[in-house]
Amino acid sequence: MIEARGLRKSFGAITAVDGVSFALRRGETFGLLGPNGAGKTTTILLLVGGLSPDQGEVLVDGAADPTRPGVRRAIGVAPQSLSLYGELTGEENLEFFGRLYGIEGRTLQERVARGLALAGLESRRGDRVRTYSGGMQRRLNLACALVHDPPLLLLDEPTVGVDPQSRNHIFDSIEALRRDGRTILYTTHYMEEAERLCDRVAIMDHGKILALDSVDRLIELHGGPAVIDAVLAQAPEDPSGIPWRVEGTSIRIETDRPLEEVARLASAGLPLATLNVRRPDLEAVFLALTGRRLRD
Amino acid sequence: MRGVLTVARKDLRLLARDRAGLFWVVGFPLLMATLFGAIFGGGGEGGRGSLAIAVVDEDGTAGSRAFAAQLEKSEALEVKKLARAEAVDQVRKGKLVAYVAVGKGYGDSPWGALAGGQGEPLLEVGIDPSRSAEAGYLQGILMEASFRLLTDRFADPKSLQEPVRKSIAEMEGTSGLPPAQRQVLKGFLGDLDRFLGAVDPGTVKQGPAASGPRIKTVAVERKGSEPRSAYEVTFPQAIIWGLLGCVSTFAISIVTERVNGTYLRLRLSPLSRGEILGGKAVACFAASCGVVLLLLLVGRLLFGVRLENPAGVLLALVCSALCFVGIMMFLSTLGKTQQSVAGAGWAILLVMSMLGGGMIPLIAMPGWMRAVASFSPVKWAVLSMEGAIWRGFGFREMLLPSAILLAVGAAGFALGVVRLRRADG
Repeated sequence: MIEARGLRKSFGAITAVDGVSFALRRGETFGLLGPNGAGKTTTILLLVGGLSPDQGEVLVDGAADPTRPGVRRAIGVAPQSLSLYGELTGEENLEFFGRLYGIEGRTLQERVARGLALAGLESRRGDRVRTYSGGMQRRLNLACALVHDPPLLLLDEPTVGVDPQSRNHIFDSIEALRRDGRTILYTTHYMEEAERLCDRVAIMDHGKILALDSVDRLIELHGGPAVIDAVLAQAPEDPSGIPWRVEGTSIRIETDRPLEEVARLASAGLPLATLNVRRPDLEAVFLALTGRRLRD
Repeated sequence: MRGVLTVARKDLRLLARDRAGLFWVVGFPLLMATLFGAIFGGGGEGGRGSLAIAVVDEDGTAGSRAFAAQLEKSEALEVKKLARAEAVDQVRKGKLVAYVAVGKGYGDSPWGALAGGQGEPLLEVGIDPSRSAEAGYLQGILMEASFRLLTDRFADPKSLQEPVRKSIAEMEGTSGLPPAQRQVLKGFLGDLDRFLGAVDPGTVKQGPAASGPRIKTVAVERKGSEPRSAYEVTFPQAIIWGLLGCVSTFAISIVTERVNGTYLRLRLSPLSRGEILGGKAVACFAASCGVVLLLLLVGRLLFGVRLENPAGVLLALVCSALCFVGIMMFLSTLGKTQQSVAGAGWAILLVMSMLGGGMIPLIAMPGWMRAVASFSPVKWAVLSMEGAIWRGFGFREMLLPSAILLAVGAAGFALGVVRLRRADG
C-alpha cells in the first residue's frame, strides 16, 4: 500500500534517515520500534511528503509523489506533537480538520460525532481543548487523524505522555481500526505496544532499519533463549542427580524450547514451589541488535 | 479556494477568542486615536466648536441667575458655575478658556450689564491675553446675552418698574445733578414708569428689539489640504497601528502553528502550501479591513473625520491591507519561536512606524524627516489614507502611494513564501 525505497534524509551533518526501505501490506499494522532519535518521525514525514528525501522515493499504491491531494486524502497522520488548536473546542477542531479534506454537511457532522466517541469526549465536545487533560488531547489528536476516514493511518508515538487509562483507550481504538481493515504504521519506543499491536515490526536505530519481521520471528532470530526460573520447596539432598544447575533451592534454565523443558522439570519429581517462564521480548531483540536497551 | 477560506475562517475565529490580541488590533488604535485627538484638538476646552467657561455669580440675585441661565442656553458655550478662586485656578491651568464674574449690583440695575456709570463694570471676564480671538468671541456672546435679557425684562414690564422707581428715588437724592438735567431725567424715567405700567407685554414681544438682529447662518465648510481637526490626523495614524497589530498577531500565529505542530498537520492535508498561506493572508487581510473600517466608522460618526474621497479611502484601505499582509508573511519567517518573531517583528514595525508617520504626524515632520519617511511603507499608507480623508487627493495622486504599497506587499509576500518553503525542508 505504501512503500519506502532507500529513503535518506540529512539535516546538516546529522543523517536522520539512512537508506530506509520497507513496504506496508494492505490491512496490516506495521511497527517502527526504536529509541528517541532513531529516525521514526522523519521517516513518517518522508512517507507523507512532509519532508523531501535526499535520496530514495515513496510509492503509495504504486505511484510516486505522496504530496498529491488524492494521496493525502487516503492518509491520516497523528503527529507525535499534539497538533490541535487549544482555543477551539474539541468539536471545532474535528470540524476544521474534516473541512480541510473537503468533508461538509451531514457527513461532517457524522464524522465529528464518531471522532468524539472514539476519543471519549462527547461530554466535553464544547470545551476548549486547552482545558483538556494530556490524555484527552492525545485521544483527540488521534481522532483528528481519522475524521476523513482514511484507509492508511500513520500514528507517530500516539501514547507518549498519557495516563494508563488513556493509553488503554487508545489501544482499544487502534485494535478496532485493525479489525476494521485499516493499514496502520505505528511508531513507538515502547516494545510492549509493538508486541501487542503490530503484525510486523521494523527495529530502527540511528536512521537505519536493523531488522524487520513479525514479532515472533524477530524474537526467534534475535531474542536469545527463553529463561525458566524454578524455586524448590526444599533444597535437594543430592543435586548431582538433577540434570540442571542447582543453587540452593533455585534452578535457572536457558532454552529455545521452554515448553519441553517445563514438561521435563515437572516429570523430574522435584518439589517445585514456584515456576517462572520468561519468553524473550523485543527489548532483548533490540539489546541483541544494538548492544543498548531501548530506553537508554 | 474552499481550503483557503476554511483556514481563514479558523484564524479569524482564533483571533476573536484572543482578547489580548484583539486589544492590540482594535482597542489600542482606537484609544490612541481618541486620546491623542483629544489632546491635540483641545479636548479640555469642551466639545467641538464650543468654549468652556465658568460663571462666577457674586450678585446672587434673580437677575444674575437669569444672566447665567442665558449663557447656559448658548450652544457656543459650555458653562460651569464655580466660585471665583476655583474658576481662576481652572483658567490658569488651561482647563477652561475663561471665567465670567457677575458683580454685585447686577440685579439692581434695570440695564443689567449694559448699565453705564462711573463705578466698576458689572461683568468681569478673566482670560489669558494670548486668547484674543476667544476673548472677542466671548465678548460678543456676552453682549448678545445682555441684550436678550434686557429684551426679556421688557417682555415683563411690571418687573422693571421697581428698579426704575428706585432709580428715580436715587436721582432725587443726588445733590450734584444740574436742575435742568434732573428735570429731563425725571421726565424720562417717569414716562418710562408709566409706559411700563400701561403697556401690554404682548406688544413689547412684537417689537423690533425683542428678537434681536435677524441673522441667517449659512454652513460654509472649510475646504483645502489641511486637517479640520486633530482626529483627522490621529485616525489615519490609528489605522496604521491597527494594521501593525494585525501584522504582528498573524505573523506570530504562523510561527505558533509551526511550534504547536498544527502547521505540520495543515501541510499533511490535501491543501497546498499556497492554499495554507493564502488562508493566512485572507484572514490577515479580512481582519485588517475590518479594523480599518471600524476605525473609520468611529472616526466619522463620533469625531467628524471627513471621508472626502470614499473611493480613495477604499483604495487606500485595500492597498494598505495588502501591503501589510505581505509584510506579515515576511516577518513570520524571522524566527523559530513566538518570542523571536514578536521581538524581531515589533522592532521592525516600530522603526517603520516611527519613520513613516505612525508616531509623529507627517504634517508635523521637518523636511529631511519626510524624505527619510519615504523609505517606510507606513508613510505611504498614512499618506494614502490622509489623501483620501482630508488632503483632497484625486485618483492620480492616489496612484503613487497605492503602487508603492502593492509593490512592498508583493515583495514581502514572495520573500516570506520562499523563506517558509526553505524552512519546511
